[in-house]
Amino acid sequence: MSVLMAFTAAVLFGIGTYLLLQRKLSRLIIGLGLIGHGANIVFVTATRRGRPPLIGSGDPSAFADPLPQSLVLTAIVISFGTTALLLALAYRSWLLTADDEVSDDIDDRMVGRDSPDAEVNDAARDASGEPLSDAASEMPTDLPLDVAPGSGEVAP
Amino acid sequence: MNVLLPLPIVLPILAGALCVLVGRSRTAQRVIGLTTLGALVPIALVILVRVDRDGIAVVQAGDWPAPIGITLVADRLSAIMLLTASIVLLAVLVYAIGQPGAERNHVGFQSVYMILAAGVSSAFLTGDLFNLFVAVEMTLTASYVLITLGGRLDQVRSGMTYVVISLVASVLFLIGLAFTYAATGTVNMADLAGRIADLPSGVQSALAGLLLVVFGIKAALFPLAFWLPDSYPTAPSAVTAIFAGLLTKVGVYAIIRTQTLLFPPDSRPATLILVVAAATMVVGVLGAIAQEDVKRIFSFYIVSQIGYIIMGLGLFTIAGLAAAVYAIVHHIVVKTALFLVGGLVEHAGGSSRLSRLGNMVATAPVVAVLYMLPALSLAGIPPFSGFVAKFALFDATARAGDWWLLGIAIAVSLLTLFSLAKVWIAVFWSPRRIAPRVASSAGAAVNQAALARSSLPALMVVPTALLGLLTLAIGVGAGPLYDLSQRAATDLMFPDLYIEAVLHR
Amino acid sequence: MIVILALHLVVGITVLALAGPLAARHWPLFALAGVPALATVVWLAAALPTIIDGGVRTSTTQWIPQLGLDFDLRLDGFAALMLVLVAGVGVLVVAYAARYFTHPTTRNGRLLGLLVLFGGAMTGLVLADNLLVLYGFWELTSVTSFLLIGNDHEEPEARAAALHALLVTGAGALAMLGGFIVLGRAAGTYSLSAILQDPPSGTAVTVALVLILLGAFTKSAQMPFHSWLPGAMVAPTPVSTYLHSATMVKAGVYLIARLAPVYATVDMWRPVVVTVGVVTMVGGGLRALRQHDLKLLLAYGTISQLGFMVAVFGWGTAASETAGCVMLLAHGAFKAAAFMVVGIVDHQYGTRDVRRVPRPGPGWGPAMIVAVIASASMAGVPLLFGFIAKEADFAAFVDQGAGAALALAGMVLGSVLTAAYSLRFVAGIAGRLAAPAPKPTEARQRPGHGPPTWSFVLPAAVLACASVAFGVVPRLLDGVVGAAADSLDAAVGDVHLALWHGFTVELALSAFALAGGVLLFLGRRPVGAVLALGGHLPSASRAYLRTLRGLNTVADRTTKVTQPGSLPLYLGVILLTAAVVPGILLLGGDWWPGWPHVVEVPVHVPIAAMLIVLALAASIVRRRFSGALFLGMVGYSMAGLFIIQGAPDLALTQVAIETLSTVLFVLVLRRLPDRFETAPGAARRTVRVLIATTVGAFVFLFTIAVGSIDPPTTVSDTMIEQAYPQGDGRNVVNVILVDIRGLDTLGEITVLAAAAVGTVALARAGRRPGAPAATGVRRERQPPPMPVARLVTIDVSVRIVFAAVMVGSVWLLFAGHNQPGGGFVGGIVAGAAVSLRYVAGGLPEVRRLSRGKPWLVLGSGVAISAATAIMPLLMGGAVLQTGAHTFDLPVLGEMKVTSALVFDIGVYLAVIGLALMVFESFGDDTRTLVAPEGPGPSIEQSPAAVGQEGFA
Repeated sequence: MSVLMAFTAAVLFGIGTYLLLQRKLSRLIIGLGLIGHGANIVFVTATRRGRPPLIGSGDPSAFADPLPQSLVLTAIVISFGTTALLLALAYRSWLLTADDEVSDDIDDRMVGRDSPDAEVNDAARDASGEPLSDAASEMPTDLPLDVAPGSGEVAP
Repeated sequence: MNVLLPLPIVLPILAGALCVLVGRSRTAQRVIGLTTLGALVPIALVILVRVDRDGIAVVQAGDWPAPIGITLVADRLSAIMLLTASIVLLAVLVYAIGQPGAERNHVGFQSVYMILAAGVSSAFLTGDLFNLFVAVEMTLTASYVLITLGGRLDQVRSGMTYVVISLVASVLFLIGLAFTYAATGTVNMADLAGRIADLPSGVQSALAGLLLVVFGIKAALFPLAFWLPDSYPTAPSAVTAIFAGLLTKVGVYAIIRTQTLLFPPDSRPATLILVVAAATMVVGVLGAIAQEDVKRIFSFYIVSQIGYIIMGLGLFTIAGLAAAVYAIVHHIVVKTALFLVGGLVEHAGGSSRLSRLGNMVATAPVVAVLYMLPALSLAGIPPFSGFVAKFALFDATARAGDWWLLGIAIAVSLLTLFSLAKVWIAVFWSPRRIAPRVASSAGAAVNQAALARSSLPALMVVPTALLGLLTLAIGVGAGPLYDLSQRAATDLMFPDLYIEAVLHR
Repeated sequence: MIVILALHLVVGITVLALAGPLAARHWPLFALAGVPALATVVWLAAALPTIIDGGVRTSTTQWIPQLGLDFDLRLDGFAALMLVLVAGVGVLVVAYAARYFTHPTTRNGRLLGLLVLFGGAMTGLVLADNLLVLYGFWELTSVTSFLLIGNDHEEPEARAAALHALLVTGAGALAMLGGFIVLGRAAGTYSLSAILQDPPSGTAVTVALVLILLGAFTKSAQMPFHSWLPGAMVAPTPVSTYLHSATMVKAGVYLIARLAPVYATVDMWRPVVVTVGVVTMVGGGLRALRQHDLKLLLAYGTISQLGFMVAVFGWGTAASETAGCVMLLAHGAFKAAAFMVVGIVDHQYGTRDVRRVPRPGPGWGPAMIVAVIASASMAGVPLLFGFIAKEADFAAFVDQGAGAALALAGMVLGSVLTAAYSLRFVAGIAGRLAAPAPKPTEARQRPGHGPPTWSFVLPAAVLACASVAFGVVPRLLDGVVGAAADSLDAAVGDVHLALWHGFTVELALSAFALAGGVLLFLGRRPVGAVLALGGHLPSASRAYLRTLRGLNTVADRTTKVTQPGSLPLYLGVILLTAAVVPGILLLGGDWWPGWPHVVEVPVHVPIAAMLIVLALAASIVRRRFSGALFLGMVGYSMAGLFIIQGAPDLALTQVAIETLSTVLFVLVLRRLPDRFETAPGAARRTVRVLIATTVGAFVFLFTIAVGSIDPPTTVSDTMIEQAYPQGDGRNVVNVILVDIRGLDTLGEITVLAAAAVGTVALARAGRRPGAPAATGVRRERQPPPMPVARLVTIDVSVRIVFAAVMVGSVWLLFAGHNQPGGGFVGGIVAGAAVSLRYVAGGLPEVRRLSRGKPWLVLGSGVAISAATAIMPLLMGGAVLQTGAHTFDLPVLGEMKVTSALVFDIGVYLAVIGLALMVFESFGDDTRTLVAPEGPGPSIEQSPAAVGQEGFA
């Protein structure tokens, strides 16, 4: 393990993180890819470097550590599968919204606007004579695209 | 055991492959699925009985001795989880077949569901940290597919959140593995247990912390739980039910396993866990109170209940762990049942929004009764399992003398009662405040089906009822189960047995 | 005893179940509902002799012994006394309800069933000898009461009242549970009798007692927790009679009575309990005087009386315990009767408002007599049961010191009020308080407003008779009361209740109370004016509402913070946590290994530089395409690194996968807008950079920390040794993949399978061949798909290349076990070939390839591998164990065919299947794409769509 490679891995992680903090799925995918590479770098550089571990190709003690190689290989293939799925999501999202933006969750934004305390209001009706607020009736049934204006920002 | 132990992993995989092969024939797929999961239950039962009688069972895959190859290990905890999981998986599959909607007819559903089952089982059975990673990936990938099956807009949006966050968790797990291997040169958990102890203290506790965070994301601990309430409700209720029952528990199981097995007591972040547990239960229940949609409310319950379980772990006493183990079983059953009821409510009421539901005690008394069972259990009303779990946890906390924690836990259970009562009132008592229309959360398809025929399909009712009665049963007959949990907890507190069993030291 | 409880449970559930069918003919239903209470009465009668002789009956059933949680039941004197109330009133209430619900409905049937269940819970509560079992039944009474109050669930008031009751009593109960746990820890047991035998003490116990008292006070509606009880009056009168006057509200009193003899001496006990009791007694009385609704009047009366009992029992001397027992019975008798009469009036006239109730016509005689007796007993008129009780109560406080005197004064004041509202009750029910111009019409119009039938009045009459009988001949109760008091406090000797004790202080006090009451009533106008001021006092129910609102607001605010719904925020928090928590832990302990060498091998430098530069590029470019391409290049540089590290298999896989995923990326991206529109604002960019730096720093430190530890590599060394002898392969990595860690690989291809299914499902969802232009709008918004041709120059030779690559992939597969290669690499290379073919010729090309139906390839691949894993099990081996057989092959020469190879073939097929399916789903422009309008249709369509196109 060398400072240089540790630094490289760290940089990949940093950049990946930076990309992950926005809304465009394509960028999220790139970010994930970079972070994944970072992890693999740690895996293969923090362990024994050497000749390809092929029996008969030389002195086994000079072989590179084969175990991390197989682990990384597994990891790579898995991440390929999941990436394909993510791309499919982006594709679907494009079909539906003509964008690959990850918008905010509508129900989270409705919290407090609707009347979770309807019963309390019921109870309060005679006491404080206040009518039932029911913003829920104005709840859009389908999710409007303008919920999160297309900003790739960390929401305030 | 050599034969039994791998079956819960390999059979579902085979079944999944077959489901893909038979292609369009739903009937064939269902037969395959039901028989496989049906077979899993007795297998898991036998495993549990044998393990409880003869001690920890170990199988070296490919006959490669540990720590070279991958080891399958079943101790009491694993066996308990396995049995509970297989029962729930079967029940939910039946429910899903009975439920009108896309997933039932979807050609991919059965195969992916099988892969989910395989992933869950192998997560519980594996004794190898990297294989745990693979198992978790199986579970997650299957869940990605299930949660987006049908590809509606809200599903896609919440699916993105869910998938991206899970993938980040996976990458963090991967780097954690890289660190672990770089520091120890092995990934076999029993072997790790020995080698980690030799590491510098900082590295030890840092690894513990990293793994805690990684699994904390999957287990939905505060402040890593955002994704759960946003994503779960959009899936079809059967899918949500199985997620609620099992996925978070895989995370919890992983936390318990790694924290108790891998790390020496002094490097465990015990206090951190307790604080996190408290925060999780409070935030979860407050979230539930703030919601207006049945499925979202239930999702927030998951979070707050996870807090309870983790509290039991954080005490790191036999009493605490025993309570946690019992609580997990209770939670898997009751939470699944609750979401299945949620599906019935949606089916009968045509929506999952409180404001669009109402008066169902008159229109659908059956659903009302079915809601009562898990609700009472969750509220901790005796003699339901919820009471036993709650009391066991409180008692353990009191033994440990963490009074502040006990106070918070009690307050949270009051809030839970409040929220459950609110749901009951809004759904079953108060008249509808808004005429039902296509609900904005997953109700759409179900809704249309409901308008088509308002009767409740038996295939949906029966599993729900059975799970509901199961919570009652494991509450009334809690004695033996709690005994078992205590033995499991003892195994966890003294991991030497586990290590010996695996490494034949 | 368990039998009795079980009987309640069974009957209750049966009644609930039969409520619907039997609603029409409701006599059998009510008869059935009466059974458990009657049974209890009989059983009690049988047991009474032994109880009176000071005996007890116990039963123990193990539940969870490890937690000290056993189902212990214990019938002693006091329990018996309570049961007399529970069961006795129970029978009468059922009889009363049978007449009260003249038009039986399913709902009434359910109410009846719940009443039975409640009776069971209450019975259990008084029998329980284990604190936790007691808590259990306590909660069950709360739940049943919740359901009973809310029975008329259309009324918002009913729902609100039900919730109110549940929350207040529930909160108390949970506090009580906490108290029980603390107490149990201190005593080392949860058995009530054991704890009372040798009571623990200490600060912990004091805290526990406070918590337990909270439970008792809330349940027994003591101020300031009383506000739920008046609200509960919306329930039908039978419910109010049974739960909210006779039994449930006495649970708190019961608990205090049990604990007082032992803990009355604990410093805080008497001041707290007696004060609360007296205050409640007076406050309740004052409020009762202001009520117009007869039922509310009685409700506040109940609160007042409960306060009285709390104070008396709370005092905890032998005398006071005895007096309390008498009071319990007396109150049960007269209050239940009074409620029943109100119910009758309400039922006949349709009003309970003293300003509306008309003067009783002929035939009302019996009801009125009952009312008079009941309220007279309530006021403490001699020759009635209430008088006996009140005398005993006062007597218990005479000559007991200053504190007692103070309490006594309060009680006398309370009694004055009691007498006053009793009078008001009589006057009201007799229509003497009717407004000057009553609206008789209203009342008259109600059908069947006539006098009640005798059977309707009977239950109340029975209670009235009891009040008279025990009032005249109190001796009758010596046995029961004696046993009860004795079981509470051994100091109690024999009890002799008597009507006449001579001219005593308490007699004077009673007389004073009565006189004062009469005066208050006569002067009710001025008094009322004074009392009206009470309206300005803070009201508990308003406080409750404010609390509830506050709770909801807090919940909303918190949730808005903890659940903002924005993915970037979530990821920010998660990544930060993942970096900071372990980071702190790392720096907390010892970890610094000293700097490792800066550069390991020179060739690392250019690779590192490339990686960093390309990554930066990928992150800053504004075009999606460029981003994807740069990411691909990073991947290729990774392959370079792998070569350097000595990992050819990795390098191969990396290259193949990178190619494949880049092509996929491009396929998807060409649909999306070319550029990222928005540029992030400076502030937010800083936040991101900060988070990114933190994460990077953490990774750097941790990597250094672990990187310079070099652990024993025994595991991998063994793998290298055993690879050939055991695994029959020269390529160690491949042996690990398909043999040593085959389970990983198996899991991995299932992941691929799931991913493939999901990809197809998503890409296909909502597609209808030749669909109408349902989405004209959307289509305009879409950038026109970039023609494939422009991506790569088409070349005929692609075909040849393709063939070559395919052969190569197969070679990789078979050679893999001994040279770099293997199923994955082979499969992915093949996939890359497919992508090449696609790029050249578009979908038709892929179609031609995938005549073998991709999903079959995928499925059979996974199936083969899984089967290879299971096979050894059938032959008694371990899962995934490998066997080998040597062949002599023309091209590849002598080679061993191992089951691992078969496994690898499965992998190969699975990967190819994935590639084919993915290309099929992304790669086509041929079909019309339909974005579903609204969630509904797409769901309905997708099964068909996926069914026919996804796989077929």
